[in-house]
Amino acid sequence: MKAYLKVRCNKEFLATIREFMKDRLKDLQVSGQLSNQIVLAVDEACANCMIHQHQCDNYSTIEVSIYREEGTLYTEIKDTGKAFPIDEYEPNQIEEIVKARRKGGLGINLIHHIMDEIQVEEKRDYYVYRLGKRIDPNLRL
Amino acid sequence: MEIKEEIKQAYISLFPCGELDANSSIDLDERIAELIEKGQYNIHVNLEDVTYISSAGLGVFISHLDILNTHNGKMVLSNLTESVEYAFNLLGLNQLITIAKEGEEIDLYFENE
Repeated sequence: MKAYLKVRCNKEFLATIREFMKDRLKDLQVSGQLSNQIVLAVDEACANCMIHQHQCDNYSTIEVSIYREEGTLYTEIKDTGKAFPIDEYEPNQIEEIVKARRKGGLGINLIHHIMDEIQVEEKRDYYVYRLGKRIDPNLRL
Repeated sequence: MEIKEEIKQAYISLFPCGELDANSSIDLDERIAELIEKGQYNIHVNLEDVTYISSAGLGVFISHLDILNTHNGKMVLSNLTESVEYAFNLLGLNQLITIAKEGEEIDLYFENE
């Protein structure tokens, strides 16, 4: 069964998403560093949707769901904003970010470092960002 | 975000408390920018009470590195929790930012400043 959360595109709700993810991962027998990694990657993807795709518009929403398919944990973010091709994104060079004194640009790097699968699926009137993390297939639920 | 401060002879120590995400990292970023604006180029940040850091929190630190270097200043971080340290190491930021080892005297990092 998919666990599911819908929140407004307000950065204050990032903490709510993290709590939701931690609790659902615990239900899926995932904890410790692996849980922290997945929570971090999903936080980055959701912050990206809220800030860059919706400009933190409090009337827009995103939906987060998590489920397991055999040896992979999937988190899906359903977003009605314009598409952001995180699957095709070239990770930024850290040295360039430092030199440019930029604060942003590291989130995509984190997502690509942590997740094993990154897909963007275009639906009729929304996009689904699917982030997959391989886990021990012998983990019992 | 609550940020305690201690002014030392050669540097200032900041003690942020809570989570450093896209929403909450702005306060720390603004405080560091204010200090730099006032000419404080030696900054220590104790992360003992920071329970979570995202790329926005990491960006707070790396975005100020270049200007501190320009002024021969330094930023030293200490007391990273396991999950915070993981985020720094994952992107190799531990190679760019000075991170004090556990138990190290922070004064030593700034003694020639």
